[in-house]
Amino acid sequence: MIRGALRRAVTFLGSASLATWLLVVVSVWSMVASFIPQDGDSAEKVAAWAAAHRGIDPMVRILGLHAAFSSPVFVLCALALAVSTCLCAWQRTKGALRRARQLRDAGAADAASLAAAHDLDIPCDPGMSEAQALTAADEALKRLGIRSKRRDDVLYAVSRPWSVWGSPVFHWGLVALIVVILGAGFERSDGLMGLAVGQAKPDVAQSYGTLHAGPLHGWFPSDRSIRVDAFDLDYQAGGVDRGAAPVVSVLDGAGRVVKTQRVYPNAPLQTGSVTIHPSDYGLSVTLDLIGKSGAVTGQAVQIVDFSPSAPEGTIPVASFAVSGAGGALLRGSVTVPLDRANGLFVKGLPKNRSVHVVVTGPDGTRFVDTTLRPGDAVPLPSGDRLGVASVGYYARLKVVDDHAIPFLYAALAFAMLGLTATAVARQQLVVVAVSRGGDGQRLVGRVRLWRNVTTDRAEIESELVAALGEDAKERVS
Amino acid sequence: MTTEIVLMCAALACYVAATVMFVVGVSFAKLRLVSLAVLASALGLAPQTAAIVVRWVRVGHGPFVGYYEVTNWMILFVVAFFVVIALRNRRLSALGIGVMPVAVLLLGAAMFTPLAGLPMTPNLASYWLFIHVTFANLAFAAFVASFALAMAYVIRERGAEGRWAKGLGRLPAQGVVDELTTRFVLAGFLFWTIMIVSGAIWANQAWGRYWGWDPIETWSLVVWLVYAVYLHARFTLRWRGSRLAWFAISAMPVALFALLGIPLVFHTAHGGYIGGTEALITGK
Repeated sequence: MIRGALRRAVTFLGSASLATWLLVVVSVWSMVASFIPQDGDSAEKVAAWAAAHRGIDPMVRILGLHAAFSSPVFVLCALALAVSTCLCAWQRTKGALRRARQLRDAGAADAASLAAAHDLDIPCDPGMSEAQALTAADEALKRLGIRSKRRDDVLYAVSRPWSVWGSPVFHWGLVALIVVILGAGFERSDGLMGLAVGQAKPDVAQSYGTLHAGPLHGWFPSDRSIRVDAFDLDYQAGGVDRGAAPVVSVLDGAGRVVKTQRVYPNAPLQTGSVTIHPSDYGLSVTLDLIGKSGAVTGQAVQIVDFSPSAPEGTIPVASFAVSGAGGALLRGSVTVPLDRANGLFVKGLPKNRSVHVVVTGPDGTRFVDTTLRPGDAVPLPSGDRLGVASVGYYARLKVVDDHAIPFLYAALAFAMLGLTATAVARQQLVVVAVSRGGDGQRLVGRVRLWRNVTTDRAEIESELVAALGEDAKERVS
Repeated sequence: MTTEIVLMCAALACYVAATVMFVVGVSFAKLRLVSLAVLASALGLAPQTAAIVVRWVRVGHGPFVGYYEVTNWMILFVVAFFVVIALRNRRLSALGIGVMPVAVLLLGAAMFTPLAGLPMTPNLASYWLFIHVTFANLAFAAFVASFALAMAYVIRERGAEGRWAKGLGRLPAQGVVDELTTRFVLAGFLFWTIMIVSGAIWANQAWGRYWGWDPIETWSLVVWLVYAVYLHARFTLRWRGSRLAWFAISAMPVALFALLGIPLVFHTAHGGYIGGTEALITGK
């Protein structure tokens, strides 16, 4: 009973109509989803859409169309499609084996075997010789775009056995692609790391501002670190303005440079499974904590992002902590006032660099709220001093660690190979010979036209009948 | 700029003339006029190609940025694809009646868009752009050819003795037209797949992700799925005839929307190619 149910389930999942319907559902779902703001967009956009479409928004939420490509409906359909593709690939493999066998058998057929088993039977003009009949048939086939070879009084237009493997290879390629994409989701890590010029950070989770790492992503083999060596605001290469382009180095555990490269769109740094792309940039402020003796006792790099809506044009990305009087922890943040041009903030380092430093206590009391220039320092409640060492740029890098990319490309190449064969290779079997019997001379043969043939069986039959009829002898001679 | 506009007007004039000749030739079964229409289409390719070369030299990059350039390049492929088909197989010349109106309408619309050259953005500046766009155009050209064949099939099916059907009488038998439609869909599907694959590799190179459900990516998948449904209907569900022809006719506008409509309707990361703004791919 279980086996029967399993067989029925496999038959259902492997059915052509289910596969077609799943393709329809996924395409309609994707079309609809493209018109609805997704959760990845801003919350305001989603809320505005919901307010403008009060009637349908509840249904959209139930279906999960605001997160259309991770919603259970979509995932379920995609999984069913994956299973269906797998079963379809298996069925096509069996079909291709069958066709390949037929092609091999047809290639080995002789006049006697064709006379014994055939599905094409056309009477020839009695006045025609065997050679004339075959020549007429050859020319008739040629007129229909079928080129044949003649061997031992048999005409062969038989595709090579590999020609039938296009579709199975394509479907298995898709299966491999699905497996690789699913596997990559477990292993891939993809994060954003902010680095001031000259700063290096170890490639560990804590170094990232944002990080999406699959559950199987192992950090253990990585003792590398990433450093930004230089930064150009308007880098030119190949006559094209490439925008902000940092020079990035990847260092090994011993601090040796593994690879250095300027990164900009379409020119990422690649080493092993790691790819580093530029994502954005902002400003960085290096702060010194100066002890009572005047010696620097601590240093922190703070990064700020450009924000046209902020009063000074920048916002802090994170806060820093310093000890207050009696060991209380104080929170601080920095912003960099930007220059203005035509009423807008200039997205770059200001001509006169200065840093707005704010330090507050746990109860919100402001201990420091001042603007410092590089080299300036301000006293803290603890007696230490907080100074600005330098102001510069920082580069936000997108660091992707994905071992699956070569496998992904291999699966794509495999699928493409199969699809190319499917689109290009003819799948045909036309074998004919002349047979003499009691009812005269007849053209007998086997015809199978599977794919990429610009004619059909009816056209072949009518062309052959016309070629081997009463007036054929004259035309051939 | 003036040379370019004059050349484009000459190309458009050839295509309009070809369209008129196709309509008259097919509707009145004047085969000679249909042959002349193919010649006019082929002639139009010369000034259009020259206009593209002139522009290429002037703006310093290939015709891949902005609505005008993208459409111009696309129509060059559509017309060239059709001319090659018509010259290789004279029986398919009448397909121009389906292909050339599409070319004239799109090119005419493109001529009304801003013609000024747009700069190459950092994200577009890659050799992948040429591969990606070329295969998108090849795919669209094949889809337009399948659209024209399917139209011819439906017209002949509806009125075997009608004026239009008579004009299309030189086309191969209906079964062969059906088969040819599928072959062009299959060719277009292959080119579209290469376009998606090259786009995914390029996106990984440019942005560090090969798929992001950006509207244009989503719609390129939609087109792929729509034509996958067509191929499944043809090869596994054994659909034939007018049902399948109507499918090919209705699928082509989806491909057209994916190529030209999306950047006008959606805010997309690919906006740069049509002259819009590029959305930020990676946030904080």
